[in-house]
Amino acid sequence: MPETLSIYIERVIDFAPRMVDSLWETSIMLFFAMLAAILVGLPVGTLLFLSADGRPNENRLINRSLNAVVNIIRSFPFLLLVVAMQPLIREVYGRATGDPIAASFPMIVIAIALYARFVEQSLMDVPNGIIETAQSMGATTWQMVWKFLYVEARSSLVIGFTTAVISFISYSTIMGVVGGGGIGDFAIRYGYQRYETDIMYTAIIVIIILVEVFQWFGLRLAKSIDKR
Amino acid sequence: MIQIQEVNKTFRDEDTHVYALRDIHLTIDKGEAFGVIGESGAGKSTLLRLLNALERPDSGRVLVGDHQVNQLSRKDLRAYQKDVSMVFQQFNLLNNKTVEENVRLPLTLHQYDHPLTVDAVLNFVGLEDKKHSYPSQLSGGQKQRVGIARALISRPTLLLCDEPTSALDQNTTEEIVNVLKKAHEVFGMTIIVVTHELAVIKALCDRSAVMEDGRIVDIVSVQKSAELTDFKSYHERAIEVLTHA
Repeated sequence: MPETLSIYIERVIDFAPRMVDSLWETSIMLFFAMLAAILVGLPVGTLLFLSADGRPNENRLINRSLNAVVNIIRSFPFLLLVVAMQPLIREVYGRATGDPIAASFPMIVIAIALYARFVEQSLMDVPNGIIETAQSMGATTWQMVWKFLYVEARSSLVIGFTTAVISFISYSTIMGVVGGGGIGDFAIRYGYQRYETDIMYTAIIVIIILVEVFQWFGLRLAKSIDKR
Repeated sequence: MIQIQEVNKTFRDEDTHVYALRDIHLTIDKGEAFGVIGESGAGKSTLLRLLNALERPDSGRVLVGDHQVNQLSRKDLRAYQKDVSMVFQQFNLLNNKTVEENVRLPLTLHQYDHPLTVDAVLNFVGLEDKKHSYPSQLSGGQKQRVGIARALISRPTLLLCDEPTSALDQNTTEEIVNVLKKAHEVFGMTIIVVTHELAVIKALCDRSAVMEDGRIVDIVSVQKSAELTDFKSYHERAIEVLTHA
């Protein structure tokens, strides 16, 4: 048994540089997805909320169009979204395969759609009285969003973001198909295609640890800013 | 002066129409403490909400001073709402902000020339020691006093109170009524109180409208009670209710 263990440790050390590379690729994809979720997903989700029927900035056209786009993106099986986006990525970025930045494009699209939905749901949980209070005080829409809605929804927005990021990790494992790399691709290449099962399980454990860390940190942060 | 003329308001569901307000005529003097009483569903909250444009009438006119409230542009409405404050039944405090931040909130939305300070207004409602607390750490009565402090900090010319004591027990009600009474005496704004609790009107208001089924059925002059005889300690009330036949 100790001998098997030492062989295993040696193999892991052997594979470590490649595993670190793949983790770096995962980080690049996650970085772009997270950035897009905050910079675009948050405003889109807020707009979805504000433009719904009966809300202060009710606008059927905007609401229905955004809803349709978000639903279409989210109903794509992710692998098909990746493939379907290839021509567009090639047009915009010059190449569609073989690097994690090209692979980030579909991640960005799904990140925006997914987080927009989470944001919309978080804002729905803010009591109606808070919106009325903002209106009665003559707040602008901008003030209502920043000084009222986001303040009361902030821990839920963080929890939603955590859940979204964990989904991004899962989505990123598919990107090997277009040569995007990443830890998921690493596990599939070595474990499934080369039968190096021990290395595959090690990679899976790394993914699990990654998810645990995000979850732990997200919940902790959400709890610390929740004064309700 | 506030004038409500020929106002009607209907709420529509899929196929039902609810007449919330029918042919409302009402004049309230500047600086008056005016009450609106009635059972739930009588339309009194809707009437109050016309005055800060949370509701718009289907027909008729709502005049407050020089402003025809239901005709104001978005920008003019904001400028008008700046000087109108509201106290809510469920307090509507931001639970993620401290008492101080909640009270200061109106001042972060508009420029005011002579607002009160947070310390002065918290002192006025007797909560100077709770400045750094969060609403979840306060009792119902304390939360409502924060709500009142938030309403007063901008020195409003019109204070709208929507069932300000209905979420509170009777003794806390007395506490809140006293704060509102003092606010009216010190700041002299027009104050309109909507409630189903007669004792609150009797302690606070000069006149009161009585509403039934969306209509104002009467406007009465209130014989104010010098002492709040309707308010007894919980112990006294318990004895009265439980031991008398």
